[in-house]
Amino acid sequence: MKEKKIKKYKVYRYLIILLFLIGGALIALYPFRNQDLTIEIITNGEKISTVLSSGYVSDNDKICFDFSHVKQLEVKEIRIYRQIKSICLQRIHYGELPNYMQNSESSYFEWTTNGATFIDENGVHIVMNDVGSELIKSLSSSVLLERILMAELWMMFCVVILSVGEMHREKTSENSYRNFGLVFEAKRFFADMKKYWSYMLFSAKADLRAEVANSYLNRLWWLLEPFFNMLVYVVVFGHVLGRSIENYATFTFSALLMWNFFNKTLNYSVKLIRNNRDIVTKVYVPKCVLLVSNMILNFYKLLFSLIVLIPMLLIFRVHIGINIIWIVPAYIMMILLSFGLGMIFLHFGVYIDDLSYAVGILLQMLMFLSGIFYEVLTSLTAPLNMIMICLNPAAVFIDTMRNALLYNRVVNLPILGIWTLGAIILCCVGVHIVYKNENGYVKVV
Amino acid sequence: MSKVALELKHVSINYKDLSHMSLHQSLAKDGVKKANIVHAVRDISFSVNQGEILGIVGRNGSGKSTLLRSIAGIFQPDEGIIDTKGNRVSLMAIGIGFNSNNTGRENILKSGMLLGCDLNYVKAHMEEIIEFSELGDFIDRPVRTYSSGMYSKLSFAVTAILDTDIMLVDEVLSVGDERFRKKSYKKMEELMLSDRTVLIVSHATDTLKKFCNKILWINDGQYIMLGETEEVLNEYDKFMQL
Repeated sequence: MKEKKIKKYKVYRYLIILLFLIGGALIALYPFRNQDLTIEIITNGEKISTVLSSGYVSDNDKICFDFSHVKQLEVKEIRIYRQIKSICLQRIHYGELPNYMQNSESSYFEWTTNGATFIDENGVHIVMNDVGSELIKSLSSSVLLERILMAELWMMFCVVILSVGEMHREKTSENSYRNFGLVFEAKRFFADMKKYWSYMLFSAKADLRAEVANSYLNRLWWLLEPFFNMLVYVVVFGHVLGRSIENYATFTFSALLMWNFFNKTLNYSVKLIRNNRDIVTKVYVPKCVLLVSNMILNFYKLLFSLIVLIPMLLIFRVHIGINIIWIVPAYIMMILLSFGLGMIFLHFGVYIDDLSYAVGILLQMLMFLSGIFYEVLTSLTAPLNMIMICLNPAAVFIDTMRNALLYNRVVNLPILGIWTLGAIILCCVGVHIVYKNENGYVKVV
Repeated sequence: MSKVALELKHVSINYKDLSHMSLHQSLAKDGVKKANIVHAVRDISFSVNQGEILGIVGRNGSGKSTLLRSIAGIFQPDEGIIDTKGNRVSLMAIGIGFNSNNTGRENILKSGMLLGCDLNYVKAHMEEIIEFSELGDFIDRPVRTYSSGMYSKLSFAVTAILDTDIMLVDEVLSVGDERFRKKSYKKMEELMLSDRTVLIVSHATDTLKKFCNKILWINDGQYIMLGETEEVLNEYDKFMQL
């Protein structure tokens, strides 16, 4: 009977993996037809957009952006979108325009410090050269972004049905005590959070106080640490490697704040049970409480760093608009993700000694891949930037936050949504694993 | 016959020696199977009535502390059921969640809250704890400046305000100097006179004789006997003679 059941679940698991692979292959290979492109021209203060239909793009050798109703156009930047309006496929800065554009005789065109100015009595035409046309054609025919997004959604769907199966198996297996399913666990989690909330707050504050108790500069270190980190990056990447990004200091600093929270939480979570040996071996505490307490501590530090960030925003005259509220979902996604991953790392960190090294290295790699010092979309080459933006959650939250904060722009919404969903799934899985196994941790440490 | 406050049925607890496992080992196919399994507690059943004081004796490593910890809910037994009948249980242990860079006062709050007390409850009892701990001015200094005696005094004082139905005491009575020890005995007596159920683990037979109604003797994780204090302790003494 038991054997049979195990076999049944094995078959179920393989079926889902097969389903995922088939679905993935279908998404990857399905011949989507060419897509319409939206070209958006950013001028000083306004946006002008035009749609290039897929037919036009595939039929013509020379692509031409046609603005017949505009007599004068000062181009700062050209952005190209497909169907999804918040994910930009390609951004062409006016400085790069000569690479993509053909000089047309009829129109007058001039460089200024603010952009490239086109003046034409019959309406402005921007005619692309071979490179530019090729680029537009490839953007219209490739559906990479949409394919990756669909694959991601499909993967999450498969993970959900896989975990439903796992849940059912655990519930019906013999040693299933204290496992009453998702709703029960969620209730228990929130009850624990409520019960230990005052402890978590107090403990975070006390730990902060303990951290600075012996240092001369005290709380100032929480400011100095990210600030000098930022200085190092600004000097190395901004001056030595010569990146040309406006407000590079704010650009890096705002991303670093977010990254530090994520990085510190995950690094700590791996060693959490060992570090809290005193507590874990002597009293029952839900282990998620310890993790959340550390997250609160990191969040305090983050808030403290705002003391540096806000003056920086003012000094560099960053225009702040209504779209700044989009940093909230970005932060929520980041917090959910670090909690979910943290819970999972916490569990495996107990049993595997050297996981902390592995996690440290992985996080370091992720840091350089997440576009803290550069903009993923423009700095990486064509297929890689889309892949990185879609598959690297750290790049997603950093990019969304930074665009909302510094450029008053809403970006990456579908990816943010998908990853928020993914983070919630991770949280559920993490909470489940930890609740199921936390009583065994004491025996190991 | 009075109400049963705590009941254990066929409780077994195993330790798997997994503590030093590397990534390589855990990826190896039968990494977990190779680990040694230690049977710390084997098939123990007993029950304690409300208001009773049960002493637990046994040699070192016979599973006494393990038993107390699993009753306190720190970990789940591998087999069997521990039924606390809805009573709140707390384990009196030393230095729970102490951070040596925090002051004594902060550590009292932190520790008290970890033990399940309300923030206001701990605050209300703050003066009582400080007085009991005899620390005086040291209470506002970081705990790392304390002597080991002061450290244990403070942590005992925190656990002494606990107000739970079942108390588990794991050799914390031999704390501090003579004066403090007497004081803690007095406190314990106070606790025991109230209608609390108490389980004490100790090697000091004098202490046990003084406090306990009943004694449980376990050896190598196995139940040997449970009975009246005098009777069991005599047997135990005989067993422990060289």
